[in-house]
Amino acid sequence: MTGLFQTRLQRHLREMAKYLRLVFNDFFVFALLFFLGGLGLGYSNLLKQLKYGQWWAPVIALMVLVIVVQIGRFATLIEDADRVFLLPKERAMHAYFVSARRYSQGLAQATQVITLFILSPFLSVSMHWTIAQILVLAVVQIILKDAFLRLDLASAYQVTAQRRMNQWWVKWLLAIVILASGLWLTVYAAVILAVILDIAVAVWFHQHWENQQIRWREQIKLEDNRMLGIYRFFNLFTEVPMVSGTIKRRRYLDWLFARIKPQHKQTYLYLFSRGMVRGTEFSGLVVRLTVIGMLLLYFVRGQWLPIILAALFIYLIGFQLLPFFHQYDDIVFSHVYPVASDLRLKSFVTLVTLILSVAALCLWVIVAIANPSLETAGLALLVEVVEVWYLARLYTPQRLARADKNRG
Amino acid sequence: MALEVSHVVGGYSQIPVLKDISFDVRDGELVGLIGLNGAGKSTTINHVIGLLTPHKGKIMLNGVTIEQDSQAYKQQIAYIPETPVLYQELTLREHLEMTMMAYDLDQTVAWETAHELLKTFRLDNKLDWFPANFSKGMKQKVMIVCAFLTNAKLYIIDEPFLGLDPLAVNDLLNLIEQRKKTGASILMSTHVLDTAQRYCDRFVLLHDGQVKTEGTLSELQAALPEAGESLNDIYLSMTKVDRA
Repeated sequence: MTGLFQTRLQRHLREMAKYLRLVFNDFFVFALLFFLGGLGLGYSNLLKQLKYGQWWAPVIALMVLVIVVQIGRFATLIEDADRVFLLPKERAMHAYFVSARRYSQGLAQATQVITLFILSPFLSVSMHWTIAQILVLAVVQIILKDAFLRLDLASAYQVTAQRRMNQWWVKWLLAIVILASGLWLTVYAAVILAVILDIAVAVWFHQHWENQQIRWREQIKLEDNRMLGIYRFFNLFTEVPMVSGTIKRRRYLDWLFARIKPQHKQTYLYLFSRGMVRGTEFSGLVVRLTVIGMLLLYFVRGQWLPIILAALFIYLIGFQLLPFFHQYDDIVFSHVYPVASDLRLKSFVTLVTLILSVAALCLWVIVAIANPSLETAGLALLVEVVEVWYLARLYTPQRLARADKNRG
Repeated sequence: MALEVSHVVGGYSQIPVLKDISFDVRDGELVGLIGLNGAGKSTTINHVIGLLTPHKGKIMLNGVTIEQDSQAYKQQIAYIPETPVLYQELTLREHLEMTMMAYDLDQTVAWETAHELLKTFRLDNKLDWFPANFSKGMKQKVMIVCAFLTNAKLYIIDEPFLGLDPLAVNDLLNLIEQRKKTGASILMSTHVLDTAQRYCDRFVLLHDGQVKTEGTLSELQAALPEAGESLNDIYLSMTKVDRA
């Protein structure tokens, strides 16, 4: 069973490495370095102004530590089919879960150590903590995380009937009590409490797990959610096949479709418009990018910068819409229906034009509000109109035609 | 002659699954496509609906091939897949409306037919639901309603009897009978041999990518005299020859 976990772990790490390569592309690394550099600079400036003995210093430290100790979930890597194929091996699964917990600790503990490292100048300036004290606090944090992951492991079994050991409020309460004792009383109290907690959970679980069943369905669901979260993050940078988005009825938006008459040439506009509005994947993307763009433009002043930024956001939205054209290629009726492919392309162009126009209008309104100059507003409008027209009417059909040819 | 499949060699990749098959479906005829799993039934259907292009040979529907005029070819076909395929984001009403738009049907007339069909298959109170959340049998009924909404000349039905309740099977058979009378043809693949025996006019027995035999039940009986009376016996003896 340990072998099974190792095999899965290798596969998992290979997959993560594949996506991480795509996430940390040159542009992103560049932007990230700038961002981190900015944050670091801000932090060091803040430290210089900091005085000893403020009442709120330990409160901030407590908040940071309590939040960070929750980071790092129990990664089991179990799959849906396991509840059928591994059911006869339920007892042996224990070794699997133990390996899984050991693996989960790696990243989680590293996060704790890094946080303490970042927090250490703050602690030493505002609370005059010594290096020894900070090191002990790091140990507290590590032991706490160890105990929490033990609770997660215990909750994989039906140890306490319907109750879970790892309810979120249990973890938050324990973390607050133990870390507060460390920050306000003495750090050695915290370390003793943490050790007692960890040992208590370990002993108690050791005595109980053997007579209990695994909560298969719940664990599978938790693992699926964990992976979905990771894939969602990757999906911001690249296309991830495991993230398909969900469907919402959104009846209150039905008025949007009233203008699309049920005519043969509108067949795909009928489908695309509903798919776009009711599916969360693409509509979410458009809304997110538009809102981020609007926020950004509100704070940007100048002659050309707002215009360039607005144009950039419109391009980003238009570019991200392209794959939606192939959204229904897997559905056999998209091929069986007697609808010519150029009608389909025309419908798609209409849809892209509509979406980009609305997004461009939203961005333009913000540009006009933030820069009360007739020249900037006028130029922005001109640039946006030309760009939407080019992107939707020329670029989109060309790109899709080329992609079609390559598929061949 | 509605559908003419002549000397078709084809499959999903360069390795042919279908090895030179020929058969036809005449106007007003229900032809059963019979064969084991992997015999090539679905591949044949995928070629007929135009999802796959034959490596060799020709598929003609009332005088047109898909290469000559894909619009005119597809306009004549309505397809009911074995596993229901639905648009996740469309309600039942929108599925019907989209079918009407795709086949360019007159909305008023088509809705009349639609309401009748919906009532027959007991879906008339579910128009505003997402069929993607229906049970398998109900999804299949949606596929049937969508297909029979059209005035297709050829209905292609892939294994309709598994998953439908007995009442719906009966309604479907009535519907097929009714469309046959107006001159439409049906090509249907199935494993439910006793139903096929009772309703199909002719049979195409596929085995290992080839047409083993073809004809009415009496023709099949004459061709394989020692096999037995029923379609089931003939079918079993046909597969046994190969196993021996």
